[in-house]
Amino acid sequence: MSGLPTFLNPLTALLAAGMVVPPLLLLYFLKLRRREQQVASTLLWRKAIVDLQVNAPFQRLRRNLLLLLQLLLLLLLCLALARPVVHYTPSPGKNTVILIDHSASMSAVETFGAANTSRLEEAKRQARNLVDAMGKDDRAMVISCDDSAQIELPFTTDPQRLKTAINAIEPTDRASRLKTAYKLADAQTAFNPEQLRSGEMDLPNVYLFSDGRVLDAGELRLRGNLFFTPIGSSDLPNVAVVALSAKRNYERPAEVQAFARLANYGPDPVEADVELRVNGEVRGEATGELGCFLYPERWDQAQRDNYQKIPGHLPHKNSVTFPKIEIFSAAVISVRQIPRGPDALAADDIAYVVVPPPKSLSVLLVTDGDYFVEKAINSMSLKHPDILSPAAYEDDPKLGHPITYDVIIFDRYQPRWLPPVGNFMHFGSIPDGLPVVAVKEQGQNVMLSRPGVLDWERDHPILRGLMLNRLFINEAIKFQIPLPAAVQVLMQGYKGPLMVLCRQDRCTHLLVGFDVVNQSDWPMRLSFPVFMHNALEFLALGADMDVRLSYAPGSTPRIPRVNLQQAGVPDRIRQIKLDGPMGRKTLTVSEEGGDFVLPALDKVGVYSLDPPIPQFEKIAVSLLDANESNLMPQTLAPGGIGQTATGRGKAPWELWWWIIAAAGLPLLMIEWWIYTRRMHL
Amino acid sequence: MARLDQLDVMSRKILAGKMKGERRSKRRGQSVEFADYRNYVIGDDLRFIDWNIYGRLDKLFLKLFLEEEDLSLYILADVSKSCDYGDPSKAMYIKKVAAALGYIGLVNYNRVSIVAMAEGIVAETGAMRGRKRVAQMIDFVSQLQPTGASHFTESCRRFALAHRQKGVCVILSDFFIKEGFEDGLRYVAGGKYDLFAVQVLSPQEINPDLQGDLKLRDIEDNDMAEVSITQPLIKQYKSNLNAYCLALKDYLTRRGATYLFSSTAVPFDTLVMNYLRERGLLG
Repeated sequence: MSGLPTFLNPLTALLAAGMVVPPLLLLYFLKLRRREQQVASTLLWRKAIVDLQVNAPFQRLRRNLLLLLQLLLLLLLCLALARPVVHYTPSPGKNTVILIDHSASMSAVETFGAANTSRLEEAKRQARNLVDAMGKDDRAMVISCDDSAQIELPFTTDPQRLKTAINAIEPTDRASRLKTAYKLADAQTAFNPEQLRSGEMDLPNVYLFSDGRVLDAGELRLRGNLFFTPIGSSDLPNVAVVALSAKRNYERPAEVQAFARLANYGPDPVEADVELRVNGEVRGEATGELGCFLYPERWDQAQRDNYQKIPGHLPHKNSVTFPKIEIFSAAVISVRQIPRGPDALAADDIAYVVVPPPKSLSVLLVTDGDYFVEKAINSMSLKHPDILSPAAYEDDPKLGHPITYDVIIFDRYQPRWLPPVGNFMHFGSIPDGLPVVAVKEQGQNVMLSRPGVLDWERDHPILRGLMLNRLFINEAIKFQIPLPAAVQVLMQGYKGPLMVLCRQDRCTHLLVGFDVVNQSDWPMRLSFPVFMHNALEFLALGADMDVRLSYAPGSTPRIPRVNLQQAGVPDRIRQIKLDGPMGRKTLTVSEEGGDFVLPALDKVGVYSLDPPIPQFEKIAVSLLDANESNLMPQTLAPGGIGQTATGRGKAPWELWWWIIAAAGLPLLMIEWWIYTRRMHL
Repeated sequence: MARLDQLDVMSRKILAGKMKGERRSKRRGQSVEFADYRNYVIGDDLRFIDWNIYGRLDKLFLKLFLEEEDLSLYILADVSKSCDYGDPSKAMYIKKVAAALGYIGLVNYNRVSIVAMAEGIVAETGAMRGRKRVAQMIDFVSQLQPTGASHFTESCRRFALAHRQKGVCVILSDFFIKEGFEDGLRYVAGGKYDLFAVQVLSPQEINPDLQGDLKLRDIEDNDMAEVSITQPLIKQYKSNLNAYCLALKDYLTRRGATYLFSSTAVPFDTLVMNYLRERGLLG
């Protein structure tokens, strides 16, 4: 037990004391009403009184002793009325598992008691208190958990080691999932050799110190007795960047457009300014009216409506767009929300994306001559649109290199071979080996006559904004799709699919089942060049041109062996240095084949590799997690498993009945005895 | 009564009575009962020379003979208000004892005087002799009522002045005298009287059973004493009572008087038949 008692009803006690103590004092100090008693003579009584006054100090004390005892009794009763409680940490039990959440939300800083500290520090403090309450032979282990779980210390009876393990837990920026942690706790206690030897089958007590913001609450299972200690308060202000995207203009690759969305997880509306930096240099600001005004995410529609009725209210604005940012080289774009007031969590105030160097698409058109397609390609700002005849295509050895062209367009030609990696458009032909095959009869493709466009994927990036219902198609290849799961139909005709998108291994194929030039009027329509632009843009996502979005904290990026080889790893260089918010790490790459997996990137920030690996020169890690940014702790145990402990895992122990039973009753008996027996000291 | 008939008042002192009574006076006079010898001096009556002693010792001794005289018995009964207290009442007890002593004295032809004292001498029988005065004596005693404060010194002075005849003097009182008992007893102790002082107290005075916060009112003078009864106070009171009684006893003893303490809880006949006989007042 620790700490001084606190009082649940102090005012009641003070009021009671004020009401009863003065009358008691008044009674004692008023002249006593004496009963008249006749005696034969007062001669000897007076002498006795005089003689007794020789011991005056003791008599005065005797006279006041009853007063003192009664005062003490009254004060004890008043103290009991005040309901003193002492919070103590009950013994955790013989086998205890201590789970400490060190996910991103646990880094929120708030006031606990008199100190400002992070939730993780408070959780560690309460865990240490729990260790202090352990009995002599009690065992405990420590597991830290975020989106994974790690045993910090296996079962031990040594409280000092437990505390050291608890203190060593560092915060991460990861999300929070408990499934693995619960499984780990179950596994450890089920296979604890001590339990098996002693024959004890008591379920362990699992103490979870967390804010309860987990993503897998519905999947949790635990055999032990769970005690959940919620950490944190629900009124913390926090504005977070919850989405960030950036996009190069393929027409003008040096221009990048960035879009950010914010969210307010605090209790009150806030204004937030947004700052965009490119490689650390401020390149854009959205402040004042251009900034954001964020209603709290916790508000329901009624609250929002009520707020909007307030005169002079600002409307909800939670996104910012930076339209034209000129970036001529590779860069790291960071978008930071600048809070105008306190902000509890710093990790979600900034997000990063990595922008590769601008690069024009390299496109190869394999055709025997197609005016419209050539014109469409030439009208785009492509690096160098190459045009080859089919024969030249088949003979060109350079085409075996997987990254020569970003997109290869086969116009009415079925190639005999394809690069192992690439993006391809096929007009009026279907290569072999794809999950889409042409229906053949007698070795010839079955054609659909005037299939007409029934419907198309209006939301797909390739066909977004296009009107194709009046498209005339004279005939189109009849598709057969043995594996529908691997194929996406983009355009459906009355008689069958007309345009499909499929992926196979590391290739993306856009199959247009008709000859756009000779069998349709599409090139005459405005939608054709737009389609060409969209298709090339979409297929170029697989190319080294698009913005690389950030990884979530805890991710382990996988670097393809091909990329390593491009950097000369591991042929010439056996080690890679990883720099970032977690410090510098030296990684050794195996000579054996296979992709290389980086260690978990736990902290938000930008990591760099040395030597630079293509497409992985910079790796951005951003939180962008609404669940972790929402700092409102859960009051109930995650998944409804277990019970919630109040305070710091402490139970209140009311003392009032102890006061009455242990102190008040004996005092009352002493006072009665003194009164009746006329005792003196 | 029959038992009292067998008793007589004794006196340790040789007191001269006015008349020849049934008491063997210690005065040596002319009677047939030999009392003592003395040396012969010229002029003594030769008839009382003891010739046997002369024959043996060759010296002349004169025989002395006891003379029977009457004994004056004075019974001083305290009838002050302080005696109207207790259960059994001290006043009633004192009257019973006074009546018993008076009866004994009368039936033995002693000269009995019963004096009631409170604020001085409030009543007195005068000298009485003989059995025929018993009814008068009892009547007198029964009519005595506790009254007034106790002026012991004045009462004793007046008594001593009024009664010069020597005799046995019995004082029946509680002796709770605020002015002090010494001055009063001086008049009657150590002189011509064979003094017997019987201190009578009630059980309530000996072992007071009082509780709480009290205002004690003196029954005689309405003096008030505020006390909070406690064990120490009771203890101190008893100690003081004991010391007071001892002081009274000591004062009387030094002056050749006899002190006797009695509680009204003791039957009066026990006091008369046993205690007073033991102390030599009765025989």
